[in-house]
Amino acid sequence: MADRVLKVNAFTTFTLLDGEVEGHGWQTDAPAVLNVTTGDGDVILELELDNTETDEVQSHADRASLSPDEARELAAELESYADRAEE
Amino acid sequence: MATDVERWKDEVYGNDIREHLFRFAEEGWDAIPEDEHDEWFERFKWWGLYHQRKGQESYFMMRIGTPNGVLEPGQLRTVAEVADEYARGPVDNPEFGAAYCDWTTRQSIQLHWIKLEDIPDIFEKLEADGLSTQQACGDSWRNIVGCPVAGKDTHEHIDAWPVAEELHETFKGNDEHSNLPRKWKVSVTGCDQGCGQGDINDLAFEPAEKHGELGFNVRIGGGLARKEPRFARDVDVWVPEEKVVDIADAATRLFHDHGDRDNRFNARIKFLVDEWGAEKVRRVLDEEYADWDLETAGEDLRDQYTYNAGGDEHGDHVGVHEQPDGNYYVGLNVLVGRQGVDDVIELADLADEYGSGEARLTQRQNIIVTDVPESDLDDFLAEDLLEDYSPDPHPFMRGSIACTGTEFCSLSIVETKNRQVRYARWLKENVDVPDGVTDFHIHLSGCTASCAQPQIADVSLRGMKTRKDGEPVEALDVGLGGGLGEHPQFADWVEMRVAADEVPGYIQNLLAAFDEQREGEETFREFVAARDEDALGDLADPEETDYEDPYMHNTKMTWYPYADEDDLDASPAPTDGDGETISADD
Repeated sequence: MADRVLKVNAFTTFTLLDGEVEGHGWQTDAPAVLNVTTGDGDVILELELDNTETDEVQSHADRASLSPDEARELAAELESYADRAEE
Repeated sequence: MATDVERWKDEVYGNDIREHLFRFAEEGWDAIPEDEHDEWFERFKWWGLYHQRKGQESYFMMRIGTPNGVLEPGQLRTVAEVADEYARGPVDNPEFGAAYCDWTTRQSIQLHWIKLEDIPDIFEKLEADGLSTQQACGDSWRNIVGCPVAGKDTHEHIDAWPVAEELHETFKGNDEHSNLPRKWKVSVTGCDQGCGQGDINDLAFEPAEKHGELGFNVRIGGGLARKEPRFARDVDVWVPEEKVVDIADAATRLFHDHGDRDNRFNARIKFLVDEWGAEKVRRVLDEEYADWDLETAGEDLRDQYTYNAGGDEHGDHVGVHEQPDGNYYVGLNVLVGRQGVDDVIELADLADEYGSGEARLTQRQNIIVTDVPESDLDDFLAEDLLEDYSPDPHPFMRGSIACTGTEFCSLSIVETKNRQVRYARWLKENVDVPDGVTDFHIHLSGCTASCAQPQIADVSLRGMKTRKDGEPVEALDVGLGGGLGEHPQFADWVEMRVAADEVPGYIQNLLAAFDEQREGEETFREFVAARDEDALGDLADPEETDYEDPYMHNTKMTWYPYADEDDLDASPAPTDGDGETISADD
């Protein structure tokens, strides 16, 4: 089994989330690591689902780069949806 | 774009940090501006000081670098006295008491709960006895490791101790090499057993013969952290003993100039070797950094390497071994590398009484007393202290290594040392050791930084989280089958997020499967290597047993995992030089 791709330590934003990976005609639940960091002036959002839970995709992590403005927009969206989720 | 750390290093780094450190010590914790904590804590590492984790503000871990693990006569006592006087925190550790010393996997010493205000006095006491914390951490030459019995080993082809000493004296405090892109770990060994662990170091010197002369082959670019563990690559270079410092200087300058300072996660030289390949590393070394024509590699001794080789091995220097001079060295097992300070003082007394007073630290977190005459051996071995630090330990006690963990470390996400102590004791009481197994390596690291070197263990454990009965609990990823030797192998990861209290049951089931399915005298490492991913995953299941784990809760979120009141809010930190809480109003 391949090792984890993302480093995991006390600075990792979330070490244990409920994740889901979905393709055409298949879907699998898996624990996930979700982390926020910075790189080259951007905010990096990175996600990795435990690779033990599915054979549909190879061991991997996903990353998206957000400009600081985009990161703030995302933060506002998260706040807003957090409120809605609690309604 | 330069990283924050590179900018901070450009402003103040290396030897110059000391005057600032002493100024802060004089003025007290509050003198470090809060918005400059990160940069000063990064710089303090160069002087061997790591600020402890959240909830333990104002306290530091202090690392003392002992080259090749050698503690000259008297130094073990000095370390113990420093620990006794200065390394005491607000709460005792339930296994190890109020003050203790940690022997690390890189033959160094770590003390905890060090107060900023005490640092000048500690440095004075250490330095008066030839000890130092300089470059024990930070982006520079780290403590040089090697065969811990260099100069006292019947398996030795070259006495590597003077070589390690010369490297230490040349590169410690050397301003030209004080600010490297990242840490620089060097190993030197002259024995034929491979116990310098050169394969996992940035720069490794291993004994090799050329033109009938014994010298060293050079390997570059090993390291364990994160998902990119690498064994050091053979760069096809041999040097005679008198050229070791020169080639080390050349390799360090190459790293200084070409290491990636824009991305600390890509800065170790292993990534440069990945990018360039060993041939280009050699060519650039030869053409631009060495002022002599490099020789190609000599004939090495790797086919004789037995250290952590998985079979009939010389695994850890534990036990009674004859030295070339007819005296003996006695390797004592120190479970998870930690000794209470009273035991260290008693051991220093015994080293004086029975040996030369010298002690040596191993890369398996153990300690060796050297130079014991044959006539005194029986009396030494009969000492009560050796019941706790045995030269003939049970395989599970012998093989257990753990990093610092959430007790003090900012990176770890699980408790490690006390948990590993409990694992070892439970396994000893409950699990049958398969025939022929004398040394079963179980390494527990609290995060992916790999300080316990989990990838080179029979069973690799690494901190994670899982959910159990609906609650988040501490867990471990599990790998199998790692080790060194002629053909080093990193562990295969086989289980993710095993609840920490189900790991002993997993190991019990694993060893039962090994015992049942192994062919003849097959070693555990061979057994793992012979199986594919699916077969390894099917070998054993985690299981609850009567093993009890008091650290299942999120110890990262406590101020100290063993405090009665362990909530972050209950922390007395930060404290002043007397250990009194500094009020936010002060």
